Amino acid sequence: MPADLTELKGMIEAALPGAAVEVIDETGTGDHLRATVTAPQFDGLSRIDQHRLVKAAVKERFDDGTIHALSVKTSVPS
Amino acid sequence: MADPELKSKIEELIAANPVLLFMKGTPDMPRCGFSMRVVQVLDQVDVDYGAIDVLPALQPLREVTAEIADWQTFPQLYVNGELLGGCDIVEEMFESGELAEALGVEQPANAEVPQATQQSAPQQSPPLQIE
Repeated sequence: MPADLTELKGMIEAALPGAAVEVIDETGTGDHLRATVTAPQFDGLSRIDQHRLVKAAVKERFDDGTIHALSVKTSVPS
Repeated sequence: MADPELKSKIEELIAANPVLLFMKGTPDMPRCGFSMRVVQVLDQVDVDYGAIDVLPALQPLREVTAEIADWQTFPQLYVNGELLGGCDIVEEMFESGELAEALGVEQPANAEVPQATQQSAPQQSPPLQIE
């Protein structure tokens, strides 16, 4: 079952209230997804911890096999 | 729950290798685009590193790294016992010079992340402009 980009976006937004989230399909084939997230919650966190938060938000879709890989790009609001 | 013997073995490997890459395939023959990109970055930084092919035991290793580092996707780059991150983080840190610093080496002169797979999607022609 292909990943639902809107659902993934919603899951990240729910986990990180106030975040600006974009989830795109990089190649149009459903298996190269990229999440770009700007969130105040990232302030002071290492990159890996920022990425952990994003990954944790969509863990269910990893666990059920809907997504195998997710490129993540994080930043703190300026 | 991760296999305790496997977890113990992996913890030993992480402790024994200052730079350790968990990847799909081998440095000579990566079997995934993200793993290949990390290898390319490490080649540019020119540092010795250990490499573990996770494909023969993918799910068990996901369980082990989930417990060790709260991270389940590969590739994973460990430096001095700590998980630095996957492909995205390694590339970002490479461009910024942080990776060379973490590895204790000099930042290479033309530190460039190869724009490989991302650019290979078919180019769509722009929509027609109706004036």
